[in-house]
Amino acid sequence: MASRTLAVWQNRKIVGHLVRRDLKVKYQNSILGYAWSMLEPLAMACVYYFVFGVVFAATGGARQAPGGPDAPGGYALFLLSGLLPWMWFSAALNDAPKALITHSKLITTMKVPREIFPLAIVQTKFVEYLLTWPVLLVFVFALGGQTGWNFFWIIPAVAVQLVLSLGVTLLLSSINVLLRDVERIVRILNRVLFYGTPVIYPMFRVMEVEALPDWFKALYAHNPLAGIFQMHHAVWYASEAPPASVLWATVGGSILVLLIGYVTFRRLESAVLKEL
Amino acid sequence: MAEPVIEAKGLGIKFATNRRRKRSLREMFIHGTKRDPNRGAADFWALRNVSFTVTKGECVGIVGKNGTGKSTLLKLIAGVLIPDEGTVTVRGKVAPLLELRAGFNDQLTGRENVHLVGSLHGMSPETIQERFDEIIDFAEIKPRFIDTPVRHYSSGMKVRLGFALISQLEHPIMLVDEVLAVGDKSFRNKCYDAIERMLQNQRTMVLVSHNEGDLKRFCDRGLYIRNGELVLDTDIKGALDAYNADTKAEIAERKKKDDGKAA
Repeated sequence: MASRTLAVWQNRKIVGHLVRRDLKVKYQNSILGYAWSMLEPLAMACVYYFVFGVVFAATGGARQAPGGPDAPGGYALFLLSGLLPWMWFSAALNDAPKALITHSKLITTMKVPREIFPLAIVQTKFVEYLLTWPVLLVFVFALGGQTGWNFFWIIPAVAVQLVLSLGVTLLLSSINVLLRDVERIVRILNRVLFYGTPVIYPMFRVMEVEALPDWFKALYAHNPLAGIFQMHHAVWYASEAPPASVLWATVGGSILVLLIGYVTFRRLESAVLKEL
Repeated sequence: MAEPVIEAKGLGIKFATNRRRKRSLREMFIHGTKRDPNRGAADFWALRNVSFTVTKGECVGIVGKNGTGKSTLLKLIAGVLIPDEGTVTVRGKVAPLLELRAGFNDQLTGRENVHLVGSLHGMSPETIQERFDEIIDFAEIKPRFIDTPVRHYSSGMKVRLGFALISQLEHPIMLVDEVLAVGDKSFRNKCYDAIERMLQNQRTMVLVSHNEGDLKRFCDRGLYIRNGELVLDTDIKGALDAYNADTKAEIAERKKKDDGKAA
């Protein structure tokens, strides 16, 4: 594994070229370019704000930001701080199955460590996520969001998310070459995970529901994504900081996914190359 | 004697016929080494027990019928397929002239693609900048088209641009897979000259072709592959003679069969 990691590192320039190409292709054919990557999460934020912040709040099921509607930033900032990193994860998840297939011509003619193609996808989406930060900051100031030491939650949040998305991308990209069903599964998974993860609502809301059995709550809290998004929220709402058990589950789970993804990728490599 | 540049030892690769590829998934999850008795039946060995060495500066031609594993062999040397048996060791960087349009992105312009694919193959930005005009000139692409997206190019233009770019690589080993068949006559002549120029400076080349003229022109050694096995490793003339003899025998056989049917 160490030698392969080194080989990937030596080819990091190629990853850079692939990332730049993907961004270039994405932005140059549209007039609004960069604005598109912001318009989508903003539009989604408006929809969710309307449904959960306005309609449900009026009928008594308010999904408010932690600390009540008066908390700094309010529900709008809470939505954005979850939706922007979610776009990163979901875009990577969506493109993961196609990571190797779209580059089949390159892979079958050029000798490079094949891992760089999934890696390039994760990086491209990460850059797009970074590009959303200026807009997020505008909202932070406009809505009066507050942070302090808890701002540093952003570091583990991003690091763990990188590990998890890389693992998922490695896993899905290799399996999908052999079984194209993966593409379909991913579309469903994307939906399920979105609502099954505290992205647009705070985690404690789920924990407070008495009707839910304990095993379900445990399962819910130890989904690696749950911890990641709690950390993203904790940047602006200190009360959202994940408890130790959730934190360990998310770190351990993400590393486990990366290991599984990597081992699968290596074991299927020979079969994948024949199939491409 | 110098260390061989390409060294193949007992090389073999098998492909799954029909839908056996699902098995590789199952094997992975259930048990890596467990084998079932009728496993071998559905696998097809595209190449088996192929061993040879190529020393620096040699130009080797591979001949054989369609579907006998010539291109597979090139891919194994290029490292884009992993052998199921044996090993192949390549010492030095490889310039793959296998699929000339590989890596071109239809949305990007010719100029952007030259920079992208050039750097994917390990050329530095300075080198590309320096040789850019030469590449465009060689590819016979009019300057006003170079900033047009590649999707508007004709297929000839794409292949010419691909060849012009990859022939600029200075890697010591070249793998050529019938690309000489592309383009019109005048471009083909240019390709020949370019390859001859590349063959100077002790570069090594492995060429797959059905064109006897090409093979005789460039190669001094020939490998004849029949049904996935290396049957002859000799000078190019010997390999071609053996291939032609086999082809003749096959045609004669077929004729006899047809005659038998007619009678």
